[in-house]
Amino acid sequence: MDLNAIIKILEKVGKIEIENIVITADELIINIPSAPPVKIPQTPEMKEKLVEEFKIKEPEGIDWEPPVEKYKGRIREVSFGKPKSEGGRGVVVKIGGQRALYRFEEPQPNPPVVTFDIFDMPMPSFPKPIRQYFEDVMEDPVEWAKKCVKFGADMITIHHISTDPKIKDKSPKEAAKLMEDLLQAVKVPFVIGGSGNPDKDPLVLEECAKAAEGDRCLLASANLELDYKKIVNAAMKYDHNVLAWTIMDPNMAKDLNRKLIDAGLDPNRIVMDPTTCALGYGIEFSINAMVRLRLSGLKGDELVNMPMSSGTTNANGAREAWMTNKEWGDKKYRLALWEITTGLTMLLCGVDLFMMLNPVAVKTLKKVGEKLTNKFKMPKKVDWIIA
Amino acid sequence: MKKVNAMDIYKLLPKRNCKKCGYTCMAFATKLLEREESLDKCPFLTEENRKKILELISPPVREVSFGGKKKVVLGGEEVMYRYQKTFFNPTAIGVDVEDTLTEEEIRERAKKIEDFVFERTGEKLKLDFIVIRNKSQDPEKFVKAIKIVEEATEMPICLATNNLESLKKALDVVKQKPLIYSATKENLDEILKIIKEKNKEVALVLSSGDVKELKYMAAKCLVNGLEDVVLEPYLDPEDVFNTVDMNVMIRRSAIERGDKYLGFPILNCPIVSYFYALNNPVPPDEFFSKEDSAKIYEATVSATLLNRYADALIIHNLDIWELMPILTLRQAIYTDPRKPQEVEPGLYPIGNPDENSPVILTTNFSLTFYTVTGDFEKDNVTCWLLVMDTGGKAVDVSVAGGQYNGENAKKLIEETGIAEKVNHRIIILPALAASTRGDIEEKTGWTCVVGTRDSSQVGEFLRKNWDRILKEWREKNKS
Repeated sequence: MDLNAIIKILEKVGKIEIENIVITADELIINIPSAPPVKIPQTPEMKEKLVEEFKIKEPEGIDWEPPVEKYKGRIREVSFGKPKSEGGRGVVVKIGGQRALYRFEEPQPNPPVVTFDIFDMPMPSFPKPIRQYFEDVMEDPVEWAKKCVKFGADMITIHHISTDPKIKDKSPKEAAKLMEDLLQAVKVPFVIGGSGNPDKDPLVLEECAKAAEGDRCLLASANLELDYKKIVNAAMKYDHNVLAWTIMDPNMAKDLNRKLIDAGLDPNRIVMDPTTCALGYGIEFSINAMVRLRLSGLKGDELVNMPMSSGTTNANGAREAWMTNKEWGDKKYRLALWEITTGLTMLLCGVDLFMMLNPVAVKTLKKVGEKLTNKFKMPKKVDWIIA
Repeated sequence: MKKVNAMDIYKLLPKRNCKKCGYTCMAFATKLLEREESLDKCPFLTEENRKKILELISPPVREVSFGGKKKVVLGGEEVMYRYQKTFFNPTAIGVDVEDTLTEEEIRERAKKIEDFVFERTGEKLKLDFIVIRNKSQDPEKFVKAIKIVEEATEMPICLATNNLESLKKALDVVKQKPLIYSATKENLDEILKIIKEKNKEVALVLSSGDVKELKYMAAKCLVNGLEDVVLEPYLDPEDVFNTVDMNVMIRRSAIERGDKYLGFPILNCPIVSYFYALNNPVPPDEFFSKEDSAKIYEATVSATLLNRYADALIIHNLDIWELMPILTLRQAIYTDPRKPQEVEPGLYPIGNPDENSPVILTTNFSLTFYTVTGDFEKDNVTCWLLVMDTGGKAVDVSVAGGQYNGENAKKLIEETGIAEKVNHRIIILPALAASTRGDIEEKTGWTCVVGTRDSSQVGEFLRKNWDRILKEWREKNKS
């Protein structure tokens, strides 16, 4: 084939491949001036071909197992209320009992539990978006409790604040009477709270414990500022649990638990409250304390493997939640979200029991939190790009 | 995993103690370990040792950045829990802009995202990136939206598209290094080819509902030369804990098991929960409208994931009330626990106080201090602010914990010499500390007045009451 023939073919096809040729010559000049310009790299088809040359490499030996830990310890299970067969009012609520930190390791045996805050006197200082739900029942704690049950309360915390000598100085007997009325009115178990007065609280809690004998309530709370031995004795004598309250310090929580146990309290009756600071007001300190306590408990420290409680209601004290400020939008949203966010954060740190106030927050936390008893399932793709 | 200590790093430094970096070699090693200094500051390091040190100090979760002038840095984490050290790069929050909006709307929304700010405790809390969403699936519209956003803002951008043609065209026009959303098992090869072909620096999101699959995809990116990878476990709008579980599995594999193919930042998309909530029942909708409930739900899901290892979040809404709790939570979680949350106790003059000005007692918890001084400044309050050493605890916490007490107040009054600066003996207490009034009066001999619940109310309280309080006190204490 002579060169002219090759050029002719080139004009037609733009490209030729020559296989197995031997060129023998002293001097070879190939001059193809008349050939049309050949735009090899610019044509789209050719480009595709170039890309194809980038071969995707496959990685090798990729294996993976879910990182499940072995925990030496477990979280104690604490129950509230009693079945009818044992002379109780029939509703039993359990918290704790975890054998793992995360759900993919083992689902939680019990969902998070919410206990609604009620008070033995009206609370006109509540922010309006919360007050609106309870305005009609604030004069009557019994009706208040019933309304909370309608809002989905697993338990109810009655704060006997009018027993404070500086408020109404109501007697422990009067508090106990209210306790009896409450136990009659609703079936859910109770958390029994005082007024925060360290001298009066042990007396009030003791009397209320007696009135609620055998109903397995949570006495709130025992701490080092007051006569905790009296509370321990009341719990053991009348069959109740005790809330052990400390300031965000795991060592203090451990220390208090030890003292309570030394005073005769069954460790299976302790719920720890290492203090919940509101979102934006030191919640990170609560996060650290709770996570450390939960990890120590699972590692086998028998002095801190108790379930935990959170005063999530504290979230409503955050100014970003309650303050009227046009720039921040309606506070009805902020109040709900502040309590939800504070509660969920504590939930993820291992908290089991939530003291809450806002029905919106209670509903949301419960609905989201109850999934902790489900098994892990691989999530599916949801296309939001075209939503 | 073996823990690296400063000695391991020191051995690889030149050990000249030239102090060109500002420290001795041993101190520099400590700073490097704490990630407070950059290795570039050492002028005498051999390339070999430089690499070795980098290997030692590089975190188990790789740092991935994207953007242009403004950048977002994701990941870089070393620990599972903040108390173990600290978390480093705060969760970046991105908000979407749809390419189906008009030019003007796109520009406006992009500007709104860039300009959004919520100020708290002296910090400006902001959003971090813009997600351009190829809702139209039309490459031309996508490209146009990208141009508008890049012209109107300096924000880092994420290109979100399902259409490979859109992606190709987008990579031709985008000026910065974008975050690409996203590759799945099905299209990863094609996307890798496109990235190769365009020869453009990008960060790539890999999406799946299966951790093992994510790991395989990440490994594939690495062997094909793409290192800037972000992992997206699918968001489950019905059970967010399925997503939380995946986040935890990924992070634990990286940090506690040393799995380098899972050592990448995590992205979650609460935007999914918003759209889901518009058409499905969600918890708050018994109380609020569908639209508002969807926003509350989006914030709820965001907060949950922010708590467990989301290094980036994509959300839809810009209402300040929805963003406030998310941004506040981020601020809290990413505060460095190694830095004390306290300010120096002592006497702080606010405005230009004189001998007749009020004396107000607060705590040295930095959040409290900055809130109080910020409010006073805004409201032109003039006073002497006594900042008590409560060990960095807030007012209510230190009252309960017993650090806000008479003894401490007495010590503070003596040390600051406030008695010589004013001609009265009145202290205003926050309402939250009302119960300490007796104790403080007894120990200090000063008269305590219970003020307001919140520092934002102090200005009004003083305007209404201070002259009267002062007058009454003077009459009582004439002799």
